[in-house]
Amino acid sequence: MPDDTAPKATFLGKVVILLILAGCGFLAWKLLFAKPQPAAPTAPTTSTTPGLPAPRSGAAVRISVAYGTEKDRWMKWAVEEFAKVEPNTQVDLLGKGSLEGAQALLAGEQLNIWAPASSLYSANFTADWQVKFSKAPFARSETLALTPMVFVWWTERFQALKQPPQSFRDVAKLVAEPTGWAGLAGKPEWGFLKFGHAHPNQSNSGLMALVLMTHDYHQARTLGMAQVMDAGFQTWLTTFEKGVAGLSGSTGTQMKEMVLKGPSAFDGLCVYESVAIDYLRNAQGRWGDLHITYPSPNAWSDNPAYLIDAPWSSTEQRAAAGRFIDFLLSPTSQRKALEHGFRPGDPAVPIKEPGSPFIELAKYGLRIDLPQVVETPSGEVISNLLAGWQRAVGR
Amino acid sequence: MKTFIVLVVIAIIVGILWTRTGPTPDEAQPTPTSTQAAPPDALTIRIAYGSEKQAWLEAATTQFNARKVQVAGKAIYVQTVAKGSGELVEDVLAGREQAHLISPASAAFITLANAQSRAATGKDLVSKSESVVLSPVVIAMWQPMAEALGWPQTRLGWADILTLAKDPQGWASKGQPQWGRFRFGHTHPEFSNSGLQTLLAEAYAGAGKRTGLTVEDVQQPAVVAFVTGIERAVVHYGSSTGFFAKRMTAGGPGYLSAAVLYENLVIEANTATPKPSFPMVAIYPKEGTFWSDHPTGIVERPWVGANERLACEAYVRFLLERPQQESALRFGFRPAAVDVAVGAPIDSAHGVDAKEPSTTLETPPAEVISAAMTMWRSAKKPAHVALVLDISGSMEEDGKIAAARDGAAEFIGLLADGDRLSLMTFNSTPQWLGQNQLLTAIRTPGQAQMRSLIAGGKTALYDAVSAAVAAMKADPDQDSIKAVIVLSDGADTTSSTSLEQVLTAIDPGPESGGAIRVFTIAYGKDAAGDVLKRISETTQAKAYKGSTGDIRLVFRDIATFF
Repeated sequence: MPDDTAPKATFLGKVVILLILAGCGFLAWKLLFAKPQPAAPTAPTTSTTPGLPAPRSGAAVRISVAYGTEKDRWMKWAVEEFAKVEPNTQVDLLGKGSLEGAQALLAGEQLNIWAPASSLYSANFTADWQVKFSKAPFARSETLALTPMVFVWWTERFQALKQPPQSFRDVAKLVAEPTGWAGLAGKPEWGFLKFGHAHPNQSNSGLMALVLMTHDYHQARTLGMAQVMDAGFQTWLTTFEKGVAGLSGSTGTQMKEMVLKGPSAFDGLCVYESVAIDYLRNAQGRWGDLHITYPSPNAWSDNPAYLIDAPWSSTEQRAAAGRFIDFLLSPTSQRKALEHGFRPGDPAVPIKEPGSPFIELAKYGLRIDLPQVVETPSGEVISNLLAGWQRAVGR
Repeated sequence: MKTFIVLVVIAIIVGILWTRTGPTPDEAQPTPTSTQAAPPDALTIRIAYGSEKQAWLEAATTQFNARKVQVAGKAIYVQTVAKGSGELVEDVLAGREQAHLISPASAAFITLANAQSRAATGKDLVSKSESVVLSPVVIAMWQPMAEALGWPQTRLGWADILTLAKDPQGWASKGQPQWGRFRFGHTHPEFSNSGLQTLLAEAYAGAGKRTGLTVEDVQQPAVVAFVTGIERAVVHYGSSTGFFAKRMTAGGPGYLSAAVLYENLVIEANTATPKPSFPMVAIYPKEGTFWSDHPTGIVERPWVGANERLACEAYVRFLLERPQQESALRFGFRPAAVDVAVGAPIDSAHGVDAKEPSTTLETPPAEVISAAMTMWRSAKKPAHVALVLDISGSMEEDGKIAAARDGAAEFIGLLADGDRLSLMTFNSTPQWLGQNQLLTAIRTPGQAQMRSLIAGGKTALYDAVSAAVAAMKADPDQDSIKAVIVLSDGADTTSSTSLEQVLTAIDPGPESGGAIRVFTIAYGKDAAGDVLKRISETTQAKAYKGSTGDIRLVFRDIATFF
């Protein structure tokens, strides 16, 4: 490919590039050396009013938390429970994509905690923050929970496939079938196979999907520029993405759409394992069972929580934000995270015990051990991968 | 450059969809409840919403207001205004409607509104939205008719509708000659969400695609022939999906064999009192369909402050709570809260199937939608319309004749080139100004005639209606929508024909689908509204009330039927 047509790093690509290495390294360190977390605060003594969590006028301290919507249900539960033990602290939740949260902070939105899907974006954010405020942005950082990527399918449609997909290359063949479900399973009324993933430039899970499909195409543990610039890969990526049914800026929103609109909207998605687990039972009340498979290779998202060392944070707000993070890390909250499909950041909370979704829901394809986990690509590779993706998809 | 072109095309489409919207623009009658007085010291927010969810939303809002949820020490009070989706978005964009929340029928309106807002201000109108209820677009058909086509064992779709629409034997080809011709209905694609989705679905089916529809596809002769074939069976168009549902329920199989409705309207029809003559069933086209997903989001405009934003969030959270979502289910919507399971009445007992639709169609790019609309104008069923205007002496009062002239002239401008027009005025006697002329020939002179009308004399309303209907019956053309539009500002004073004779003459009998429809406009405060309503209802058309202030909008809404 001539140099003048080579993909160039976008601003967003640059935002992401430097951090994937640091994020993965940080994640690996967390996985290996995660420390026990603080105990839960005292037991609840009051109860919140059910229904509308309208702002409480009597709250003495008010903090704002930007969080990835993949943690939506867990975080909303945590806020309600936290209010029981700290009635004088009001936590305002703001659902934001990982990159969106960083941009909001840099634009001066007065957030006290930033809880993105992964630490991929933190290094670049740190650099920008330091330019603006001449100091490090985080007073504290913790890993809340871990989750890998999965393919989630409607069971009826997964079982109808003659060859169940185990990788992105398999999925690419399915979406490229010119007769759609007629050729795949003799079901013309199902239309084309509709597969979706989040937008790589807007969502951490979308970037994860892009990295994993690149690894899969090349069957390589590590990625270099040669693989990203490979003409065969570029062509494959373009063809694959043309068959992708939908791109969403939010993993949670996309999963919710799959449950609400059923297989008419999506036959399958690439989402976080936690998101798939969280919606399994809801799906049963709508369109039937979901089935989960694990793309190989795979990668972790570490769901960090950052306490922001911001000029707009009062001493009381910092303290309250710290207590909210403590609460999220408490065994009670970590067990709740497990209920919502996350692998707890606290290794003291087991996932192989009765009641754990990894045991209860194993029949839907859940498994504890992951296939091969890939090594982190370099910043340059990520940047060019995103630029190449933009060229391939044209959006 | 490409982005700019797309934005321009979007702006054109939005313009078409919105600026041609009449007083009853998209769904059902506009029944704004925004006049409710907010309690003193309340924090008042307004939601402008698509009227197809009116019954559910109004009930939920009443409950919410009763809770007196506090923000900044004030109780939230929600005012509501039900409008067509296109109109509500247009009004908010223009600042005429300072709503804090909007909730159109489908996400397409948010996409189009944001495109126009970005072009004008660089910012979205609504940056985030979420569905509060859902309902798929379906072909509603009387159960015995669906069964005659092989339903439910056979999956039906647009190809089956086309086959039936083109067959001159109609239902006789299915062994049911007593049902007459196949009669179909959908709303006007330029005015209504479901009408536009119908056109796109027909184009997809004609092209044999479910995704990737192109401008070239919609211009293909085979696609045009496919759409034209289905449109030939259309009874009339209209601006309101809800109106079709009500008329289909009331008129029975003789009026409409099938119509494109939202799934919740099928359920509503099957639970109506009195019960329809047959159960209605939802056909989910085998080629795919679209969802009406009712996205609801906060308006990004200066009149929405921080407290109003908090109040909006509280209100939307309330709508998504289990009790309100369970209520939505009872109204026939699919709940947008994923933890509320779908159950009755989304079931076969109510004519619908919770496991459908099996697949959806991709919303095509703006330039393809624009090309489809252009194609439709030539493919749609032509109309022969007789415009019958009262020019009795009382029309001189209060400027009525002047406003009626403008409205009638504008109406003539809205008809398609392939339509035909007859013009009649009446005072002491009816008088034809022109009969059965193509719009290409009569548009300009007809508008000139309208603008030169003068008033005087008595009111021979019944004679005029009788003469107009008789002339339309004498028209041998069986392939056009035939309608008479009567505007009158007073009671009949001089006809030789009685009202009962008029009603007998216009009564279409059991097979009302091919009837000559008489739309009536009771114009001004002295109009014989009850009489005009009886005349329109006998032909299963629509009765309007108009004044000098809104007569042009009334005419524009009537134009959506053709």
